[in-house]
Formats: sequence, C-alpha cells, structure tokens
Amino acid sequence: MRAAAVSKYVAFARVATALARRDRGELYGRMLFFAVILGVFSSLWRVVAEAGMPIAADPKLLVWYLATTEWIILSAPPVHTDVQESIRRGDVVCRIGRPVSYVGAAFAEALGLLAVRAPLLAATAWACAFAFTGWIPPLAPLAWTLPFGFAGAALITAMCLWIGLLAFWLEDVSPVFWVVQKLLFVFGGLMLPIELYPRAMQVAAAWTPFPAMLAGPASFVLRQSGAGWLTLAVHQAAWGAAAALAVWWAFRRARATLTINGG
Amino acid sequence: MRDKSNNVAFLSALLTTNLKAAAALRGAFVIQVLFMVLNNLTFFVFWWALMRRVPDLRGWRLGDIQVLFGIVAAGFGLTVTLAGGVRHISRFIDDGELDTLLAQPKPVLLHALGLRLQASGFGDMLSGIAFIASSGQVSWRAAPVVLLAIVASALVILACGILFHSLTFWLGNVDTFARQLWELLITFALYPEPLFGGALRLVLFTLLPAGFVGYVPARLAHRPSAALVALTIAAAAAYVLFAVAVFERGLKRYASGSRFGVHG
Repeated sequence: MRAAAVSKYVAFARVATALARRDRGELYGRMLFFAVILGVFSSLWRVVAEAGMPIAADPKLLVWYLATTEWIILSAPPVHTDVQESIRRGDVVCRIGRPVSYVGAAFAEALGLLAVRAPLLAATAWACAFAFTGWIPPLAPLAWTLPFGFAGAALITAMCLWIGLLAFWLEDVSPVFWVVQKLLFVFGGLMLPIELYPRAMQVAAAWTPFPAMLAGPASFVLRQSGAGWLTLAVHQAAWGAAAALAVWWAFRRARATLTINGG
Repeated sequence: MRDKSNNVAFLSALLTTNLKAAAALRGAFVIQVLFMVLNNLTFFVFWWALMRRVPDLRGWRLGDIQVLFGIVAAGFGLTVTLAGGVRHISRFIDDGELDTLLAQPKPVLLHALGLRLQASGFGDMLSGIAFIASSGQVSWRAAPVVLLAIVASALVILACGILFHSLTFWLGNVDTFARQLWELLITFALYPEPLFGGALRLVLFTLLPAGFVGYVPARLAHRPSAALVALTIAAAAAYVLFAVAVFERGLKRYASGSRFGVHG
C-alpha cells in the first residue's frame, strides 16, 4: 500500500526529469551564469589577497567554497513560480481532486528537476573552480559536499514551495521570494563564509535554516575534512521537518479557504 | 518635430495608464516597492561585511561601490518603470503579439516598450538614490550630473535589452537566453571595474557594455568632467541608435502570428 503511494510520486519525479532533459536551454544558461560568477569572484578574491588583508581563508579555497554554494543554489528549481501560476490560473482546483497530495506531487516534480540539474551543475562547478584556481581540494571533503549539498538544495526547494503557496493570499509572491533569497545569500553565507561576518550576524544566522542549506555543506571544502557531518545531518533533518510542517500547514489553511469560497 | 512631440505625449499617456493600473492594486504595489528596497539593501550586506575587513580594493572603497550600485540600481529601475515592455520583446515577437501594434499609427518599438510597467522598479530607483546619497562621495551640487549618469545607464540597459531580445527575429524564441544575457550585463556592472582586465575588459565596453552601465556613469558622478559627460552621452546614444536600427531591421523579417488581440 505504502509502496504504491510512493510510486505515484516517483512517477511525478520521473516525468519532470524527462521534461528537464528535453528542455535544457535554461540549464545551459545557468551553467554560463555559473562560469561568469566564479570568474568574477576568483578575480575579487585575487584582488582581496593582493590588498594584503588576511581574511582567514585561502583565495583558492574561497573560490571552491563559492562553487559549492552556487552549485546548491542554482540546482534548486524555482518551484514557487510554477505553484503561483497554478494558483493564479486556477489549475490547482483540478489538481486537488487527484488521488495524490498537490504539494507532494509538486515537491516530487521539483526533486525530479533537481536530479537533472545537480549533477550537470556540479560538474560545471568543479570544472570552473579548477579552471580559475588551477587547483583541486582533497577529494574526500568534495565527496562530503555532494549528499549534503543535494539535501541543502532539496531544503531550498521546499522553502520555494512554501513561498509559492503564499500566492493563495498574495497577488504576487516574487517580493517574498526576493527577500528570502537575499536572506539566504547573507545568512546562508553564499558569497562569504559566515565566520567572516560580524559576531551578531553569525549568532542571528545560527537561528535560521539558511546555514544548513548553503554554508554547512560548503564548509567541508573550507575545513578540508568531513568533520561535523553528523551535526549538519541533524540540522538538515530538523529544518526539513520544519519545512514539511510549514508547507503542510500553509496548504491546509489555503484549502480551507478554497472550500469556504466555493473553489 | 511634431511627430516627436506626439510620440513623447503618447509615451507619457502609456506611462500614466500603466501607473494607474499598478496603483489600482495599491497593497501589491507598495509591497513590491518596499521588498525591492529591502532586496537591494540585503544584497549590499556582502560588500559591507567584506570591506569592513578589506577597506581598499585597488582604490575602490565602500562609498565608491555604493555609488556604482546606486547608479546601476536606479538606472535599472528607471528602465523597467518607463520601458518595462523591453523584458517581453522576445515573447511579443515569437507569439505574434506585434501584429496589433503594427496596425497602429505609433512606432512599434515605442509602443512595445511602454506596454508594461514593473512596480518593483520604483524600489530600485528609491534604493539607488539612497545608496548614492548616503555614500558621502557625491555632493548635492552634483545632482544634475548624477541624474545624467542614471539616465545614461538606463538607456544603455534599455538598448541592450532591445538588442538581446531582437535576436528572436533571426533565431526564433531566445527569451531565456536574452534574459540571461541581460542579467549578466547587470551582474558585471555591479562589481568594481578593477576586477576585470584583458579581453574581458574589452567585452565589457563593447558586446556586453557593463562599462557604460556602471563604471563610466559612476566615474562621471564621482569626478565630473566635460570629456566624461561627452563619452557617457555618446555611448548611450550610440547603443540606443544601434538597438533601434537592429529592431527596425528585424521587424522587416517579422512574420505575423495571425493572432487577434487588443492592447490598451
């Protein structure tokens, strides 16, 4: 019974994977953007090193750190736009009637997209980071970044799904997405490891889910070891549970509203 | 001469209509503006955190980056507010939505540009001006020069948008590609000029003119000179004229979508 329930969501993921393989234009664009951003930042870190101010990390390591955080963030599909469109057009009403959870299916589809994007973008990340630094970190910490980076991207996807559901109440969820995205950039340590921020910001970041999404997985590269994997796994599991609860609660509220309004 | 003043009146009428439409959903409008301001402030946290530790990057200090960031943000905001249709040109061409514009007496490009307004552009303009004003690098007496720098930046952003999206006339639907090129232009324009050298620098002043979106206007706002004023105006005019010429040439290849539609 349970296997049959799971197989429905696996089917959604497989369909999304097949579609993503066919429509690769956006993915190539993301790969190009990736190369540009890493190029810009490798120049920036060179200039910072030239300025003679120690920032407690090797510029090469910072480029590999950024390659990992960008890989995670660019791999996560922007599912909030699809959910918003589905709500705006009213498609959601038809989908609710299906014998599958609407949010479960949307998340499964997003994971299918993630499964296509993540390997290609990881290859791009590593190739570009090597091209710009001429150096490869030890393989063991790089290997640690893969499962935890994928889990981080899945967490970001769940967050985007929750933002998309806000379209039941808001005209346009883009502003919410921009702000959450920028909070992710800052508190997740996208461009700069969190350790380099002022103490107050480090404390604030620790109370948010963002470090578990980006800085946590990418820090394996900075530390050049797999130390701290268990703590990160616990954090990711806890924030994953919180995200699932938030999505479930938001959809439940929205569904109740739809029933009251008569669909 | 009369045609030109008619076009200006037409453009201002389009803008007024768009503004009224945006203001009709007042809550959403205010939220978009405020969130865009917050978005830009959050993005700047990176520079603030970095430059607390490294105050000088090849002569660029935090105030200089604020001016650069402010001019690009205000320029981008001005573009998507006055000519928000630029982001949709690919789709207009590919979906045959230019049909209804071709049948009207006003210039097609002008009409297409004025069809949309992005409310968040006001947030970009507000935050851009706030960044410049709080940088401590520009005096109030330099306000006209700063305004010129912002307008020139906006014109180059607009021209690049028209150019990238006009590729659809020859290559088919390149909407995603054009948007990504446009994003790259803005991305490069937001980082200090000394980070880029060699061939890339040449690209940034020609094919992907981030130099004329950010660096040159920022330099003009910092240290105004007649030569910089001339260079800024000439570059903006050249890119706009080139973009209009490319669009007009592409329009001759445009095949109707045979679609019925009405534009207000």
